[in-house]
Amino acid sequence: MKNSYRFAIVVTLAVCTLAASVAGYGQALPTDPVERAKVVAQFFEANARRLMLFDREGKEAGVVGQRDVYNQPVFSPDLTRVAVSRIDLDKERSDLWVLDIATGRGTQITASQTREQATNPAWSPDGSQVAYVGVRGGYFGIYRKASNGEGREELLYQGGSLISLNEWSMDGRYLSYFSADLAGGNSMFALPLNATGERKPIEIARSKTQIQGGRFSPDSRFIAYASNESGKMEIYVRPFDPAAAPGSKPAAGPWQISDQGGLGMANWRRDGKELYYLAADRGIMAVPVTTSPDFEFGKPTLLFRPPADAITGVAPGTSSISRDGERVVIAIPPPQLRQLTILDRQGKVVSIVGQPGFYVQPGISPDGKRLVVMRTDPKTSNQDIWTFDIATGQGYAVTNDTHPENAPIWSPDGTQVAYASFREQYSGVYRKAWDGTGNEEQLFRYTPGAFMVLTDWSRDGKFLTFWTGVLNLIALRPEEKALDRKAIEWIREDYDVIDGRFSPDGRYMAFLSNEVTINKTDVYVRPFDPNKPETPAGPAIQVSKDGAIGMISWRQDGREMYFLTRDWEVMAVDITTTPAFQAEPPRMLFKLQGPLPGNPPQWNNVSRDGERFVFAMPVRASTPAR
Amino acid sequence: MRQRTIVLIAVGVVLLAGSAWAHHNMTAIFDFNDRVMLSGTLTKVDWRNPHIELVVDAKNGDQMESWSLEGPPPSFFRARDINRSDIEAALGKAVTAEASRARDHSRSGLLRVITLPGGKVVSACPQNC
Repeated sequence: MKNSYRFAIVVTLAVCTLAASVAGYGQALPTDPVERAKVVAQFFEANARRLMLFDREGKEAGVVGQRDVYNQPVFSPDLTRVAVSRIDLDKERSDLWVLDIATGRGTQITASQTREQATNPAWSPDGSQVAYVGVRGGYFGIYRKASNGEGREELLYQGGSLISLNEWSMDGRYLSYFSADLAGGNSMFALPLNATGERKPIEIARSKTQIQGGRFSPDSRFIAYASNESGKMEIYVRPFDPAAAPGSKPAAGPWQISDQGGLGMANWRRDGKELYYLAADRGIMAVPVTTSPDFEFGKPTLLFRPPADAITGVAPGTSSISRDGERVVIAIPPPQLRQLTILDRQGKVVSIVGQPGFYVQPGISPDGKRLVVMRTDPKTSNQDIWTFDIATGQGYAVTNDTHPENAPIWSPDGTQVAYASFREQYSGVYRKAWDGTGNEEQLFRYTPGAFMVLTDWSRDGKFLTFWTGVLNLIALRPEEKALDRKAIEWIREDYDVIDGRFSPDGRYMAFLSNEVTINKTDVYVRPFDPNKPETPAGPAIQVSKDGAIGMISWRQDGREMYFLTRDWEVMAVDITTTPAFQAEPPRMLFKLQGPLPGNPPQWNNVSRDGERFVFAMPVRASTPAR
Repeated sequence: MRQRTIVLIAVGVVLLAGSAWAHHNMTAIFDFNDRVMLSGTLTKVDWRNPHIELVVDAKNGDQMESWSLEGPPPSFFRARDINRSDIEAALGKAVTAEASRARDHSRSGLLRVITLPGGKVVSACPQNC
């Protein structure tokens, strides 16, 4: 990806996924205590991580504390404690905790209020303090506080926008952070701590590409960071001159340290002789370096790879290495490896498809013979669209590039797959043959910088649906060029409307909406007139009765619909569409062992005859991930 | 997934903010370090997804300027028990607003905080901060 927008779509997707796994997309937490507890428990189950320690060879060296919704673990300089950010969903806040490695005992360091947060811990060189990014009263700032939790927090810098703190330099003089600015690029800063009066950040580097994760060499003469200026994320080192003019070229370098991609987590050993980073394949890498008299570096070598079933959950923000280079702490997520699994109407496993992999959002082709899925490559971290033959398990890469493709849907005749992708400031819709052959064709380009979630392709091939809180249509008129097509706002209201799915005869659209209750979505159906696609052709009829989180599907004969509840119940509803739409009370077909990974509003995973349901089921790694 | 650090921050922000649509990239359009304070009359409220829009007519010297302020989606406010009617009640009345100005220096901005006639402060943070 050659621009800095990649992270934005990744952010959005991650937010979609996590938000959906919490409470259903776009929903606030329920106020009812029982429902709220249920949502919080599901969130915990889906997101809680174990803080696992490893030595340099990857041998397990213990677990710190209890499993919890931890992220951003960082070793104290003396290697006796780990500072970590912890999300408390029930109280809608996040705080920093310091965990004693020997006992697992935790001390809460910060005390955020509801809808405040404390993240990105960075230890002072002597371990007596922790700096962090705080959201206080709605404003981002960099703060510090005693690492035993005592005393008051001190505001060091009030930021104007989203800040990500990386490190407190080993000489104690600077904090390094970066701020993402997608219009003018990203900037990496050093915040002087010894200055008197108002602290003015020093802009170390500014780039239209991603630039982040800066950490100082022990003598603060160099800084290591991750950037995708070459077209993919790599690790670089450049000199740090606090007196240099903003935007000026470095006196030397930058030097690319990684040789097979580097996601981040660039850390220097205390003696300045070794540098570490997380490679594209999630391997923990070490590079011999010297900083005096000049910067020199050797060839990266692999220390170890994290456990295979969790590997795509390992990232710069979920792992770090100790100052002596002897210990790695990784916040290990629930198993990320998934098996494409087909169930019948009773919830019984009918078949599994292919080998376990890092899949989400499988969908069944119109003829019921193939699956389409989003797949993350564990070696490159690329997110592509794949199809699989159900009978043989044979996989086909529909896309194979560094663009993050998502939200695949089958064409009505099953010969093509449409998907969304964020490229060069624009979300767009593309299509390609199901087996990856031939050229990709762009169908639509959305507003600059705006995000979209693609959800359906009408059976007559004339319309696509996507949502942004607004339920939009794209009319695929053959005479119209892709870049000339405009989004049609089918429903734009003060409540959220998502996940539009056409009835087989094209006369109705089903969708999720929280019109009645902010913290609960239900399935509704409204008439659709292809000759007047600017507005629904009639009032809404509620289909679900007690909430739904997605998986809206219609049976081909128009006599049955399906959806998923917050309790992971797969529901069926008898319906009629002629002369007018009517729905009977929903009934449960079967219940899943949720929460399942992914974003249920996007799931289009029911066969057209209503006999088969496909899910990406979590599995433990017994064989290498494909 | 790449850029996990930012992802986690964003996830945290959204979780703590409740429902929040990321319709477009705010920092691409608005400069979070260039803030304007407006005192004037609320003349328009468009309370719809993907984000609300308020128009404030404010004096700049002798000239009246019409400022368009983009806010979070309505659900952001619903989750905080602030409804359309709360804002529409201020139509034609004096309000003050703080916003991050558009990068093209047009009279538009990303709403941070608005103070309603009765003194009630409605914050669009942390989503817009």
